[in-house]
Amino acid sequence: MIVTKKREFNELMENIKNYRSIFLLGCSECAALCGTGGEPEVKEMKETLESEGKEITGTFVAKSGCQVLGTKVELKPFKEAIDKADCIIVMSCGAGTQTAVELYEDKPVLPSNDSLFLANMTRLKVFDERCSLCGKCILDKTGGICPITRCAKGLINGPCGGSREGRCEVSKDTPCAWQQIYSRLTKLNLLNSLKEISQPKTKPFRPRRQIPEDLKLKKEPIKKT
Amino acid sequence: MGFREALNSKKFVVTAEIGPIKGVDIQGIIEDAELIKGKVDAINVTDLQSSVMRLGSMAVCHLLIDHAIDPIFQLTCRDRNRLALQSDLLSAWVLGIRNVLALTGDHPTLGDHPQAMPVFDLDSVTLLKVISRLNEGFDMVGNQLKGAPDLFPGAVVNPGADTEAALDMQIIKMEKKIEAGARFFQTQGIYDLDLFEKFMKRVEGFKTPVLGGVILLKSAGMAKFMNKNVAGVFVPEPLIKEMEETKDKVKTSVGIAAQLVKGLKDLCQGVHIMAIGWEKKIPMVLEESGL
Repeated sequence: MIVTKKREFNELMENIKNYRSIFLLGCSECAALCGTGGEPEVKEMKETLESEGKEITGTFVAKSGCQVLGTKVELKPFKEAIDKADCIIVMSCGAGTQTAVELYEDKPVLPSNDSLFLANMTRLKVFDERCSLCGKCILDKTGGICPITRCAKGLINGPCGGSREGRCEVSKDTPCAWQQIYSRLTKLNLLNSLKEISQPKTKPFRPRRQIPEDLKLKKEPIKKT
Repeated sequence: MGFREALNSKKFVVTAEIGPIKGVDIQGIIEDAELIKGKVDAINVTDLQSSVMRLGSMAVCHLLIDHAIDPIFQLTCRDRNRLALQSDLLSAWVLGIRNVLALTGDHPTLGDHPQAMPVFDLDSVTLLKVISRLNEGFDMVGNQLKGAPDLFPGAVVNPGADTEAALDMQIIKMEKKIEAGARFFQTQGIYDLDLFEKFMKRVEGFKTPVLGGVILLKSAGMAKFMNKNVAGVFVPEPLIKEMEETKDKVKTSVGIAAQLVKGLKDLCQGVHIMAIGWEKKIPMVLEESGL
């Protein structure tokens, strides 16, 4: 899931200082799990902003805020409330915010959260980064532990010389990913696989796009402007 | 005789190390270099050591050449992507630099610009491969070079890695570095010769020269600091005590270093002396160790 963190309230207030009426859009997926954009948080935001003298024209928690077409359909019944609002505050990740940007070209859209990383929830409300969406998986070669993400330097051919007591040179709280890879490969009796030199990875160029072959041939719908 | 020739001649090789300063006042560096010139086979120049912004390694290497000293250009993967690394290697060559030490590099968060983007586009192993490829006349994607360098690549290994797993991995990586083209190794500072002897037994089959690292102890405080903060360095308690009790820190420090150099003479192919500001004491260490 995408981990999000609530931004400082003053920052949000600064961003909306020129707007009086607001529509709030949350998301029932990652943001809900992170406690930054589910039903309770949207309700709380509504109350807080109202106590600050803002008018909330409507609220909605999208099923998946990153799903542009689905969210567009879901938001149809809220047309009037959104038209009335001076701006939209999106309480999800940066992808959700940009869904609203795409749907409402003439309306200022502002994020209430910072988007952090793709995470595994390892305990309730504890999120750890395990995958950095690099585009070419090497987990088959590293015992299922990703050094691109879990080694601070993203090293692909073994550890640097900086680890102490199995901990990363950058933070004592972080285990050395290569130590973890070593332990796991030892258990699986696959340590030999570390002896092969791994080639430098191709860096993804942004923005990335994934589109099925058959769709590539079709013309894209032209957006009304 | 340059560094490469010295290693090939099978003599016990001595290298020292200079850390460029933050700024452009190079007088001290040149003085230190002049003082140890002729007593060492080469001088390493560090590449923004500890991730602290300083004068660059390539420029200082070039200055050493002007003073007839063979430098070892330390090159880390921390600040340059593959384009910049390859270009800097070619640039180093045309400036007369012949030896290069390929390193991963410390993480920027450990230095004085912790906000800096950590690059690590290549790692030390793939950087060595790139050097080998440039020497063959090609860049890393196979484009032909107009004139190839003939750089002498080396690498580092940490024989004092503190866990069995970490040491195993150091040795696995050392093999990869050799496969990628490393022709010599320099190590982290060694204080336990027995432990180092065991390490050398494990790697002697690799047939690649190892220069054992010696860090001059400037004080007991420095020893304690390294034990706490520097990966792979462990100063045993008796040496710390010796530094604590001495009335003449320099004499004791030089004595300890000389003993280590003497011991290393029987175990590996050379020493790499890291004086960390005490470069002027290096001739005393060499003299006392009988080199």
